[in-house]
Amino acid sequence: MSPRLRLCVLALAALVLLPCAASAIGALPEFGGRIAAYGAAINAIAPAERHVANMVSAINFDIRGLDTIGEEFMLLAAVTGTVVLLRGSRGEGTTDRAVRLPGRAAPRRSDLVVLACRVAGPLTALFGLYVVLHATVTPGGGFQGGVILSSATLLIYLGDGYAAWRDSIRSHWLDGMEGGGALLFVLCGLAPMLVGGAFLENLLPLGRFRDLFSGGLMLIENLGVAAAVTGGFTQLVLEFMEETREPDQPDDPDGATP
Amino acid sequence: MSLLPYAVAAWLFGVGLYGIATSRNYIHLIGCLSVCQSATYVLLLGIGYRFDAIAPIFYDHPPGTPAVDPVMQALVLTDIVVGATLTALLLVLALQVYKRTGTLDPERLRPMRGTRAPGPRPRSTDRPPTKRAAPPAARS
Repeated sequence: MSPRLRLCVLALAALVLLPCAASAIGALPEFGGRIAAYGAAINAIAPAERHVANMVSAINFDIRGLDTIGEEFMLLAAVTGTVVLLRGSRGEGTTDRAVRLPGRAAPRRSDLVVLACRVAGPLTALFGLYVVLHATVTPGGGFQGGVILSSATLLIYLGDGYAAWRDSIRSHWLDGMEGGGALLFVLCGLAPMLVGGAFLENLLPLGRFRDLFSGGLMLIENLGVAAAVTGGFTQLVLEFMEETREPDQPDDPDGATP
Repeated sequence: MSLLPYAVAAWLFGVGLYGIATSRNYIHLIGCLSVCQSATYVLLLGIGYRFDAIAPIFYDHPPGTPAVDPVMQALVLTDIVVGATLTALLLVLALQVYKRTGTLDPERLRPMRGTRAPGPRPRSTDRPPTKRAAPPAARS
């Protein structure tokens, strides 16, 4: 299909879709007027019912927890697919040396960069932990904190180089964190059924409102999500980095590389 | 004026779709897909917004203060997380396409035929065998 023909098809589709989109936009509720009844009901009820201050976490981990399990496994599937595709063409072999283009000088890292990264890395990790732990109180949660934790490890790469980064990251641990986090979430759903509750029913003590340990079962689910997101995203970065390793390394035991 | 956020969402989606349709590079195409996806963020947050309301977090404000729709915010959170990993998956697919064919241009890709087995071709193509792109620069 030539680009011109493709544009014509797109224009035809737009001709059909534009009136539909316009009528749909016209029928949407007035912007900024009122919110949907479901959200309003959650805002009104959840602080008293679940003792949590963060409504987004209450929805993600309690009220619509089943959807988050689905999301969790979507994440797992996407990361697994990425890893399988990359390793499938590269083999399982790994190395801790990054590729160096011949002829390009590798300037030494400035001391300032090293210092800044060594200071900022632990602080970023601490902030990530803070965001994870305060999921039910202030803005944050396992998803956001997990991504911050994962990017904190990248500061090691920036400050101390690839070998040091690979030395501080264990690929098997990442696998375990990712799968174990998803497993923990599912176990949190199954555990209440052992004592006669419903799937994901919040049977643990709910704690005090605005307290760090409020929300009961949500806290454990949140830790599972944080582990899964940290492991998954770090694993993604690791696998993409492995793509840039030295190409002439004869360390493919399986000979999987074509 | 009150329809502006929805119009922005529709415009973002349209721009992304135009980029996807005219793309000549898979990396560019994945970027355009992300633009399409950001249209959904604008749409969801626009639907859930209300004037003079706080974020749905009752830490500094007592419960009962008018707040925006938390369901939409949770949906956007889901959207972002899944979108990020899917972008990674698509980038890997683009990487594999480049390794196999040496090009990232969707126009120059030919349908996959499997391994070249001796014997009759499964079906004759009406196109003459066009010049194949150069193999990927030596990466083992």
